[in-house]
Amino acid sequence: MVGIPIGASQPPTHNSYGSSSTGKGLSALASFPLSLMKNSTILEIKGVSKTFGSVVALDDVSLQLNSNEIRGLLGGNGAGKTTLMNVLYGLYKPDAGEIYLRDEKVEIQSPKDAISYGIGMVHQHFLQIDSYTVTENIVLGTSLKNRPTLNLDQEDRQIGDLSERFGLEVNPRALIEELPMGIRQRVEILKALYRGVEVLILDEPTTNLTPQEVESFFQSLRVMVEEGMSVVFITHKLKEALSVCDRISVLRDGKNVVTVPRSEASEDTLVRAMVGAGLEVEESLLFSETGLDQEAVEVGQKSVLRVEGLQIVNEENMPLVRDCSFQIHDKEIFGIAGVAGNGQQELVEGLMGIRPIADGQISIDGASIVGKETSDLLEMGLTYIPEDRLQDGFLPTASVAQNLILGYQRQEPYSKRGFLDWKAIFRTARKLISEYNIITPSAAEAAANLSGGNIQRLMLARAFSHPAKLLVAHNPTTGLDIRSTEFVYSKLLELKEQGMATLLLSDDLDELIRLCDRIATIYRGKIVGVLERSEFNKYELGRMMSGVEAHE
Amino acid sequence: MSEQTTELGHSLKTLAETLIPYIVAVVAAFVVVGIFLAALGFNVLQAYATILFTSFRTPFGFIQTLQKYVPLLLQALAFTVPLTAGKFNIGGEGQLIVGAIGAAAVGIVFAGLPLPLLLPLVILAGIVCGGFWAAIPAWLLYQFGINEILTTVMMNFVSFSLIDYVATEIWRDPAAGHPTTVPIGAGGELPLLVARPPLNSGILLALFVAVLVYVYVNRTPGGYELVATGANARASRVFGINVRTMFLLSLIAGGALAGLSGAIEVAGVHHRLIEGLQSNFLLLGIIIGLIARGNLLAVPFVAFFIAVLEVGASALQRTMMIPVEIAFIVEALILLFVLLSDVVRRR
Repeated sequence: MVGIPIGASQPPTHNSYGSSSTGKGLSALASFPLSLMKNSTILEIKGVSKTFGSVVALDDVSLQLNSNEIRGLLGGNGAGKTTLMNVLYGLYKPDAGEIYLRDEKVEIQSPKDAISYGIGMVHQHFLQIDSYTVTENIVLGTSLKNRPTLNLDQEDRQIGDLSERFGLEVNPRALIEELPMGIRQRVEILKALYRGVEVLILDEPTTNLTPQEVESFFQSLRVMVEEGMSVVFITHKLKEALSVCDRISVLRDGKNVVTVPRSEASEDTLVRAMVGAGLEVEESLLFSETGLDQEAVEVGQKSVLRVEGLQIVNEENMPLVRDCSFQIHDKEIFGIAGVAGNGQQELVEGLMGIRPIADGQISIDGASIVGKETSDLLEMGLTYIPEDRLQDGFLPTASVAQNLILGYQRQEPYSKRGFLDWKAIFRTARKLISEYNIITPSAAEAAANLSGGNIQRLMLARAFSHPAKLLVAHNPTTGLDIRSTEFVYSKLLELKEQGMATLLLSDDLDELIRLCDRIATIYRGKIVGVLERSEFNKYELGRMMSGVEAHE
Repeated sequence: MSEQTTELGHSLKTLAETLIPYIVAVVAAFVVVGIFLAALGFNVLQAYATILFTSFRTPFGFIQTLQKYVPLLLQALAFTVPLTAGKFNIGGEGQLIVGAIGAAAVGIVFAGLPLPLLLPLVILAGIVCGGFWAAIPAWLLYQFGINEILTTVMMNFVSFSLIDYVATEIWRDPAAGHPTTVPIGAGGELPLLVARPPLNSGILLALFVAVLVYVYVNRTPGGYELVATGANARASRVFGINVRTMFLLSLIAGGALAGLSGAIEVAGVHHRLIEGLQSNFLLLGIIIGLIARGNLLAVPFVAFFIAVLEVGASALQRTMMIPVEIAFIVEALILLFVLLSDVVRRR
């Protein structure tokens, strides 16, 4: 393993970084001629600290951003990436620290302030109005020229120009609800560009994109920085950070760890910086290069889940899932790849008894489950990790302990002779909190106070800790850091060895390729093809995800 | 051991964090009203002493407070139980009235029955009729998704006409100048706990029910499902809870609680049906439920505090000629300041 050693004890190096290393960084940018001569400090964050109750989210963090720069911001959950950017975007007020914009001190009190200073942010979850057009969504909240008539022709043109200039292809007059996630994200970026931001913060922007879309997205980012903007790219995907960022900063436990130019960064050094001591990178599943060649753990012969001709329609009778057939054996992880919004959610809801099915057959261990209540299915041994954890899996005002037993509240040991056994519930909760590393002051704490990653760990703890024969997991590692992702992977494999059948729906192709025995691809509600482990190929999957049938 | 002590320390801290906004809100409300009273030329300290201590100075004041406490507590529960599932029952008034009508009807029709038979029937009739009155909006919500706030409010208006009809047409008491029915049978009256001044045993019933509700919501799987539904109905549904049934049952339970308060008014206080017996218990019940933030453990205490304020304020009118509405202003201000503390805390 080559690379500079980065340990927990090493002081932050972001200040010691000089122009000479920028020069070195250039050589790696062969395909993107950059005029780094223009490079000058545009934004500087100095000594920012922020605590939430007893949790220190940011501890004396500094960051200096140049113009014409794509800056990667890496770090695990609770490392403080999003908190830092929320401070910059005026969503949180820092306890200490200062922000300088072109050497002038600024006080950012709200997103409105941030935008007026030329700072824009694209969140992981976008806030868009489905029934408005692209242009209407973009101009919302700005002052319009034609306010009385709401004639948006001029804005349409302006947005069309912007989208052309930055390679963010989108029809300004399309309705948001008709657009796939990848395009919706472009809209969100255009929203910031339309407001003339110079610093664009992107929070996990590639989550919903196919590999092909990611490439064109990166090209757009290049155009932006060439025009003088700066981009902060928050991610936990190292490969992406390494392929597009000029410099990469790593945060850990709310502290600066290191800032390195790309030329000096490697996956290995960055992982070490992110997780600190304690993770054997060489043995990590997440980074094992051998994962692909490895022969899969023997798949069982018993069919656990059988889906035949499944058809699911919406209120207008439009098909959302069409003629879906597959089966999953015991000891098998069956993956479904697809761009978000191609029927995955509906398929899962149909399986879990949340959404009525129009036609077809679903059976568990040979017995039909069509028309069964979700509660019956949970009792039969189905367990579910929902994709939208906030909406579908989480009770914000209830305690962490209450959340951990949702769906199992009528089962032993939580419920005895018609009464809840809080002692048993809290015993289990405390055990799961430590086992799954959920960071909370106590099991009685309101779950709303948990951070995103900890909420996800709560979902996992609930699903993994109750005996089941079929696990339905939809994007189970969203928002998790490397260490937790690693934990999820080993847990999934462990449960598989114990005989569990798993349906894994994921937007992360690497994840599917690592874990699955077979991968099906879903496009517009239809299974396009199923690949065996020996045939796995990222670009092939990407093609199938965009509707092209598998090559024979 | 250490884990338990930290957990205890944590819960003490949470308790302090919960109580401080209340204390601040009460003090702030009294200060604002005090400025108001002083401007009008009243003796503020004397007024506050009257408001706060009337209930505790004489046996009469205390019993009057307890008397007032019963319907306030039950109305607050009638609002809070559906609120636990995330539904708003604004129909406690109508449910009280229809419960009272049911109780009075049984008490009058079966007037000859002895107490062990008639009293349970009267109370039960109140509970069933109150539950029925809430079941109509609850069913509309269950079947058609019609907003329960609108329907429960509308059902109040229907109940006004209903009580008018019963008290002036069916069992009218010709001797009374106000729409009133003839008295119920003596066997339907709640026994007195204290003879002079009279305190009926409705308070025991109300406290028992409050404990029952608390235990059900906090100690049973059904109660858990109610809380889960209120916290996030979508997630509850995804994890197998039939949330529509939860909405239905919680509203009916709220109606039954309000109906019980109507039955106690008839069997314990008036011994007949009187138009207007609902007083302004509904509004006070909602205020209590909101000040308690839906916490079923806090509701009985908040209800008692509001009963003290109400009784103190009526004494204020008698002794200092300060209008009784001052109590309402204080209550509303407390609620406002409590809600305001949420905003402050979120910052």
